[in-house]
Amino acid sequence: MSQPLVEMIDVEKHFGGVRAVDHVSLDLCAGEVVGVLGHNGAGKSCLMRMLSGAMVPSGGEIRIGGEAVQMTSPNDARDRGIETIYQTLALADHLDAPANLFLGRELKTRFGNLDDTRMLREARTVLARLNPNFKNLRDPVSSLSGGQRQVIAIARAIYFDTKILIMDEPTAALGPSETAMVADLIRQLRDEGIGIFLVSHDMHDVFDLCDRVVVMNKGRLVGAHRIDEVTKDDVLSLIIKGELPADWSARNLAPAL
Amino acid sequence: MSDTSKPAQGFRLDALMPGEGQIHRLSALATLLLLVAGFSIASPAFFSVNNALTVLLQTSVIGLLGIGMTMVILTGGIDLSVGSVLALSGVVSGLAVKAGVPVAPGMALGIVTGAACGAFNGFVITKLRITPFVATLGMMLIARGLALQVTGAVPVSGLGEGFGTLGNGAPFRIVHMKPNGFPQVLFPGIPYPAILLLVMAVAGAYLLRRRQLGRHIYATGSNEEAARLSGVRVDRVKLYAYTITGALAGLAGNVLMSRLVTAQPSEGMLSELDAIAAAVIGGASLMGGVGTISGTMIGAFIIGTLRNGLNMAGVSAFIQQIMIGLVVIGAVWIDQMRNRR
Ligand SMILES: Nc1ncnc2c1ncn2[C@@H]1O[C@H](COP(=O)(O)OP(=O)(O)O)[C@@H](O)[C@H]1O
Ligand SMILES: [Mg+2]
Repeated sequence: MSQPLVEMIDVEKHFGGVRAVDHVSLDLCAGEVVGVLGHNGAGKSCLMRMLSGAMVPSGGEIRIGGEAVQMTSPNDARDRGIETIYQTLALADHLDAPANLFLGRELKTRFGNLDDTRMLREARTVLARLNPNFKNLRDPVSSLSGGQRQVIAIARAIYFDTKILIMDEPTAALGPSETAMVADLIRQLRDEGIGIFLVSHDMHDVFDLCDRVVVMNKGRLVGAHRIDEVTKDDVLSLIIKGELPADWSARNLAPAL
Repeated sequence: MSDTSKPAQGFRLDALMPGEGQIHRLSALATLLLLVAGFSIASPAFFSVNNALTVLLQTSVIGLLGIGMTMVILTGGIDLSVGSVLALSGVVSGLAVKAGVPVAPGMALGIVTGAACGAFNGFVITKLRITPFVATLGMMLIARGLALQVTGAVPVSGLGEGFGTLGNGAPFRIVHMKPNGFPQVLFPGIPYPAILLLVMAVAGAYLLRRRQLGRHIYATGSNEEAARLSGVRVDRVKLYAYTITGALAGLAGNVLMSRLVTAQPSEGMLSELDAIAAAVIGGASLMGGVGTISGTMIGAFIIGTLRNGLNMAGVSAFIQQIMIGLVVIGAVWIDQMRNRR
């Protein structure tokens, strides 16, 4: 296998006595979708935020393309092609869709002024690709529906030159058709060679889209499997009990019952 | 995640939000016109070119403070120190000029002092993580104390005519020499403070609307965590906002002291409240992320007109204080109603 895009080695995050992430090692290759599962509070978001540069690890090492990196701000991660769709969406409510899409990376004219015309045009194009009905681009995003807000957050991650995409529960606020659209998008991005971490509670999505799954429980990584090795029940057992069923053996090797 | 509740709430805002800022400014403008009309009827002397210029002069100080205040309020903060910083800056300029420094560099020194106070505020807020309210309350005492200390609480006078130009000069003055040798003032000119206010308001609006820093100021106040995750350097944005506010307070101090041709260490008491009221009356939200320079300018003129008109109408200073106090409470109340919707 070629050089992994991301290697997280023995990564830790403590808050006082709370071990939110406890000695987790994990990797991600180009053109691969890795599902990250676990209960609420298992540490999924913390793990992802360390890779986004939004949180500084208490210990361990992160390598991007084989090179050890210290990321102390979201810009450090973005500069390395890591884009994140946060669970909270991270939108500035009083600004409109184009302003949010380009927040922190505004397009400017020759004189350094904001190029709102071009940002609007670009936003229209990329948002239309995700949702053709997205018309009210100049409204503050606080007035948009949950689905539209999510679409802006997704657009922000795919508009720029992305190599590694982190999606923290990207379909939580979406209806069925939008969820299907996101699933299509994930496949398309994967085929373009982007590596994707997909944090999700939706077992159907995970089994549909992921090449591998990792399961977290109380900050620890309790399982990492190719998707064809496990069943939904196996994964549920990992999520709930933190271990596989007692009689487990890799499903793809076992004779079909 | 707050999004489960957002859409329902967002939908009602959908109908109200887009025009709301404009509606607020229009109603503020209507209030201003009503005030002018009311005072004109109450006292004929109110509606005269000379009094208009007086209002303009008074408002220019509130307005300059208000531009800066709008920026820090937009970031979700507040600056209680502008009145004291105004005094300290004016005093520094006065002392410098008194010590023989030419007027222009002397005044520049005062403005730099204001900017330094603002930068200190920004540092305390972003690096020491002290809330803006407490940090700038501290600076309010520090700057006032410094101003009183360096002057021994005695006004600095005898500053010379040059020092008075900024506050009292008026270019474009048209004077016609009558045959009998007496001059007749055809047009009293446009006072420097008014020109300065216009220039600073336009510059402030340009910064907020057209520059990246302005966009980031709105984003920081709208959702600081989101701005940070989007790569906005929120600490730096705040540092800039407080520094600009300090510099504008310094400028306002120079305008005021120049007008008096005396550096008064006790000037500008409570003028931070005028500035906050101007911003809030003009539609700025103390929660951050909402507000415009044009709105604040209207708010500043409402306060300036109210003070002047009540004076002209012979309302006692005590009653004036009560009324302005009620206006401030009313404006903040309206702000909160707006947020609760
Ligand atoms: N900023 C923080 N400060 C203190 N504790 C935190 C912080 N962020 C997360 N935690 C704690 O870390 C644990 C893991 O949280 P999180 O990563 O959000 O879980 P998940 O995304 O899997 O639901 C939880 O116990 C949470 O309370
Ligand atoms: Mg989470």
